[in-house]
Amino acid sequence: MHNYIFLVSILLVTYYMVIVKRLPALIGGFRLQSLFLFLITVNFAFSEGETALYIIAGLIFALKVILIPNFLAGITKKIKVNDNLGLLLNPQLSILIVLLLTYLSYLFTFNVMPFTDRMQSATFALTLCVTMTGLFIMIFRLKAITQIVGLLVMENGLFLLAVTMCKGMPFLVEISIFLDVFISVIILGIFVYRINTLFTHIDVNKLSSLRG
Amino acid sequence: MTILCILGIPVLFASFSFLAKDIKALGRFNALEHFTLLAVVFYLALTSELPLSLFNFFYIDALSVFFIFVISVVTFAASLFSIDYIGNDVSGGFISEKKARLYYALFNFFSFSMLLVPMVSNLGMVWVGIELTTLASTFLVGFYNNKTSIEAAWKYIIICSVGIIFALLGTIILYYAVSCTGAAKTLNWQEIVPLAKKLDANIVKIAFLFILVGYGTKAGIAPMHTWLPDAHSQAISPVSAMLSGVLLKTAIYAILRFGVITNTCVGVNFTSNLFILFGMISLVISCGFLLVQKRIKRFLAYSSIEHIGIIVTGLGFGGLGIYGALLHVFNHAVTKSFMFFGAARVVKKYKKDNFNVIKGVLSAMPFCGVMLTLGMFAISGMPPFSIFFSELFILISGFSQGRFLVCGLFLALLAITFGAIIYHLSRILFGKKPEDLKPGNEALSTKLAFLFLLIFMCVAGIKAPVFLNKIILAALEVLKVS
Repeated sequence: MHNYIFLVSILLVTYYMVIVKRLPALIGGFRLQSLFLFLITVNFAFSEGETALYIIAGLIFALKVILIPNFLAGITKKIKVNDNLGLLLNPQLSILIVLLLTYLSYLFTFNVMPFTDRMQSATFALTLCVTMTGLFIMIFRLKAITQIVGLLVMENGLFLLAVTMCKGMPFLVEISIFLDVFISVIILGIFVYRINTLFTHIDVNKLSSLRG
Repeated sequence: MTILCILGIPVLFASFSFLAKDIKALGRFNALEHFTLLAVVFYLALTSELPLSLFNFFYIDALSVFFIFVISVVTFAASLFSIDYIGNDVSGGFISEKKARLYYALFNFFSFSMLLVPMVSNLGMVWVGIELTTLASTFLVGFYNNKTSIEAAWKYIIICSVGIIFALLGTIILYYAVSCTGAAKTLNWQEIVPLAKKLDANIVKIAFLFILVGYGTKAGIAPMHTWLPDAHSQAISPVSAMLSGVLLKTAIYAILRFGVITNTCVGVNFTSNLFILFGMISLVISCGFLLVQKRIKRFLAYSSIEHIGIIVTGLGFGGLGIYGALLHVFNHAVTKSFMFFGAARVVKKYKKDNFNVIKGVLSAMPFCGVMLTLGMFAISGMPPFSIFFSELFILISGFSQGRFLVCGLFLALLAITFGAIIYHLSRILFGKKPEDLKPGNEALSTKLAFLFLLIFMCVAGIKAPVFLNKIILAALEVLKVS
């Protein structure tokens, strides 16, 4: 039962991330989303009695709830750009589109994926929706940091999928993926600094000198 | 043992390179190291009983050996070419010595990550390996730290990461399908293949679609190719050669692994139609961009998309087409690296990269000019160079299956790209060289890098070398659908 509450909470937090207008709020949303992911993983670990899942839950908490959001918030403070997200679409239109995406993931799951269990279908649709919303944030928000957050939201969606559908990936793979994600966030952060020093802004839509 | 050797050598060297004092000596040592690596790979290919497995983590069969071989050939050539290139950059003041050391460390880490991909058995670890290649090469793309290279690096890491997330989605869906059979919870390729017939066909199809789009982004298949021209043109040149020569192929390798599972499960038609569709899209798009390119490295980058299109189309034809495609993987790797080396020398000498202003390469740089001329014919698919033959195999396979429309379009597009390549490159090769440019010669290591690749281009064009032929045929056995 807890799981369903957590799943719905993740969906709500995802919607919240679409309508916020400032960077700290977006990063906070990501932290909250990761927290619910952590709770779901702990819950699964408890019901399945698998130690591997406990370790993974611990990693989610350490990396995604604490380290990565702090790192991103630190960058935001340090580079001193204005912390508006640079919305390509206003919040009202964005939330409409994301609701549409939710409906499409639902349609895709129920018509294409051959699940027998309704609950399983709903979970799959939800994770697909979170992943697609991550992509939406990457495309329609213009700051470099928002692209990082969008990427992380997509990854959260996939972790959710792996945990809820397959009870986690093989242990070694999961650990390596965590490591990969962490390194890539750090590298992306370094590039945000470099973009900021070279261009004096971090608006990715203005990175357009390479064409054709 | 050999497995650990192949992976251990680059890692050891990467940590060692921070300590080195003399940059040129470091470069020579790096080349020596990659030569050793190549020798070990030869030893592995010739003597080992395949498939080889270790700790239930590494798994090497003939397909892996083929890709490991291609990677080690190109990295060796790139390490030879780096000696003089990086040495000149340091003495010319473009980069500091500290940065040159960083270059060699990243170079080795990059080759380590590429070698890791074909060696692991777990499809999740393949994903991790491919993500590592992106992370290792991002700094090499943004190496010069100017506006254009940082922009290219940003686009590279963002687009490839998003693409590869879809590949992870595909991997998880496949994992779900495997765990549904109840037989085993595993992502090890060699354990999934015997199970493949029991998997749910619809789920596997969806998984493969995500895999193709995801890894296809990394492989530079159009229309997911948008990062490729930027990254290849902005990367430091020996790395451009590696990106184009082998990085794209590691993604192709991953697609092939999933392709075997999908083919066994749902039959060959599904993947083969998708391959042909995406291959032709790549050919059409790259052909258009090749005609209008103005910058030489960007031009070569679009040519890579074209050749990836050829490879993927060959995979779609099946049978002899797959043989041709694998041969083309090798031929394109050596020929394109060769061309990037030539382009790098020209850009360094003229300090420009625009086709409109570079003139008279043949008279200004005799050795490099001759090499570029040969490379121009090789890359455009003229006999007796090797690319002609792999394209011929692919076409024979297509025509013998009666796919006349696809093959006709394929031929027409090849003819157009042939024209584009000859037109653009002959503009810079011939003509009068600028007055103030002194004809210069190349360093010995650079010449060796060119000649090393040229041997492969020519020999494989006259007769596929026995060694290469053997590993490709063995790789075909792996890809065969039971």
